[in-house]
Amino acid sequence: MSDSIISTMDLTKRFEDLVAVDHLNLNIEDGEIFGLLGPNGAGKTTTVLMLTTVIKPTEGNAVVGGFDVKRQPDDVRRLIGICFQEPKILWVSNSWDVLNWHAKVCGLSTQERKTRVKDVLESLNMWSHRQKKVHGLSGGMRKRIEIAKVLIQRPKIAFIDEPTAQIDVIGKHKIWNMIRELRDAGSTIILATNELYEADILSDRVAIMHKGRLMVCDTPKTLKDSIPGGDSVEIQLEKEVTKNVLEKLKAFHEVVDVVNIDPDRLRAYLNNVEEVVPDIMKLFLRSRMPVKSIHVSEPSLDDVFVHYTGLTIEAAEQEGPARRHK
Amino acid sequence: MKRLILVIERDLQMFLQYKFLIIMRAIWFAAQVAFFGLIASRMVVPELADVYFEYYVAGVVIMMLYSTSVFIGYDIFEEAEHGVFEYLLSLPVSRRELVLGRSIGGGIRSFIFIGPIVAITLFVIGLANPLNFLIAFSALFLFAFGVSGMSITIAVGLKSGDRFDILMGVLNAFIIRLSTTMYPQVFVQDASQLYAALTTINPVTFASDLFRWGVGIEKYLTIAPMPLAPILGLTAFFFAFTFVGVTVYEKRLEGGGWQ
Repeated sequence: MSDSIISTMDLTKRFEDLVAVDHLNLNIEDGEIFGLLGPNGAGKTTTVLMLTTVIKPTEGNAVVGGFDVKRQPDDVRRLIGICFQEPKILWVSNSWDVLNWHAKVCGLSTQERKTRVKDVLESLNMWSHRQKKVHGLSGGMRKRIEIAKVLIQRPKIAFIDEPTAQIDVIGKHKIWNMIRELRDAGSTIILATNELYEADILSDRVAIMHKGRLMVCDTPKTLKDSIPGGDSVEIQLEKEVTKNVLEKLKAFHEVVDVVNIDPDRLRAYLNNVEEVVPDIMKLFLRSRMPVKSIHVSEPSLDDVFVHYTGLTIEAAEQEGPARRHK
Repeated sequence: MKRLILVIERDLQMFLQYKFLIIMRAIWFAAQVAFFGLIASRMVVPELADVYFEYYVAGVVIMMLYSTSVFIGYDIFEEAEHGVFEYLLSLPVSRRELVLGRSIGGGIRSFIFIGPIVAITLFVIGLANPLNFLIAFSALFLFAFGVSGMSITIAVGLKSGDRFDILMGVLNAFIIRLSTTMYPQVFVQDASQLYAALTTINPVTFASDLFRWGVGIEKYLTIAPMPLAPILGLTAFFFAFTFVGVTVYEKRLEGGGWQ
């Protein structure tokens, strides 16, 4: 608790009958990358907006860097930087003006400002586009400008909302490295994302949100290890799996659960995957159900999400946010 | 203070992006003076035609100052549409600095815009007393800041771009028509005592009178020849919308009340 740089106490935000964030209790430690993971509509962005004092909580409170978000918003804003989910830039501006002004308002000296803006724009391959108007940039380029703000600012607490949305694969890796460097330079990073892989590889700890509520919070490894039958094996068959074979598969004492992803594709959650896979293969061969492919994997945060919510992240996204019954 | 200046700087930077708007407004001014002003001045008795023409040109300058100062409110909706308002609210700038800065920025940029127009006006009308002109010109800053503050207050209060547009159109119709920008007070009085009463408390009248006093068109001033009353009126207008207004909408802005 003493190392917490951010604490939320029953933090709640309601928009009429929609409960965007529902009594959220979190403690984020100084110097960590803290992943807020959940589908669209889980309440991640609303949480970020409350913690950055852009919107006011309906109920509960939060302390950011030792300051109360309700009573000391000016002090909070001096500590934070934010990369919004959607780039917040007027389309008539150009990248250089946007970033240069941002650096100025965040208190960077002239020399520091020029150096950092140039360095970050070069790192993001945006230097040659610095004089182009925003409306002439692609969605990915605009997103790079948005993240450049926080990378130039190097705030004590950085809120980064979906940093690699619309960014190509090479760009994603570059941005992930830059986020790690930001953490290593002393910033605490709150990473809101619906990309499971991104949350997994970047976060020191992850909080999974669903319908505005916190489902679970821990290190990615602990979360994965917390799943009974942590390993998984995905089997693609050449024909539909029968009920009988499914029952036999479930009867293995190492197998904890079996999920039918498609009629001819299933995923088994199990322990000691290396030992039991040969026996599973034998079962399918004996049952005359040829196996097209088999993929053995450790659990991902996707599995963690399924475990704690009962839904895949895609299905949860389709369900949407929580609504109060009137 | 430094951040306040940066907020002002941003608005000035933004204004220079609207080159098309600036050019169109300048054309509008030229058309008003070259067509309407010249033709309408022929409708008055011949010996007063030139006086009315000068009177009208000075009035158009104030109309331009009013309309460009209002423009900051439209910027707010443009920013809300692009989400830039949320960005501004997340910056290490107090709400007071943000709103005050924008109000002052809105005022200064309308001055940048009307600078060349005032120069043309001085060329057309001439300048009788430079000191008077400087006093009047300085007081017009208060008018511009006040109008910008009023525009921001209404924009934040309404939270709807369409409603803002409609309301500003209606407000413009009232505030400009019930002032002495286009016709002297004596004629307003002839038309209606109520109109005349409203005209005398209208900040646009104060600004028009002051500007005319500054450039030496003292004939037909509403409150002639003392500039003190309009200066006090504009000061009150400036304080009302820049300080009292700031406090009111600071509360609305804090924590996303504008949404």
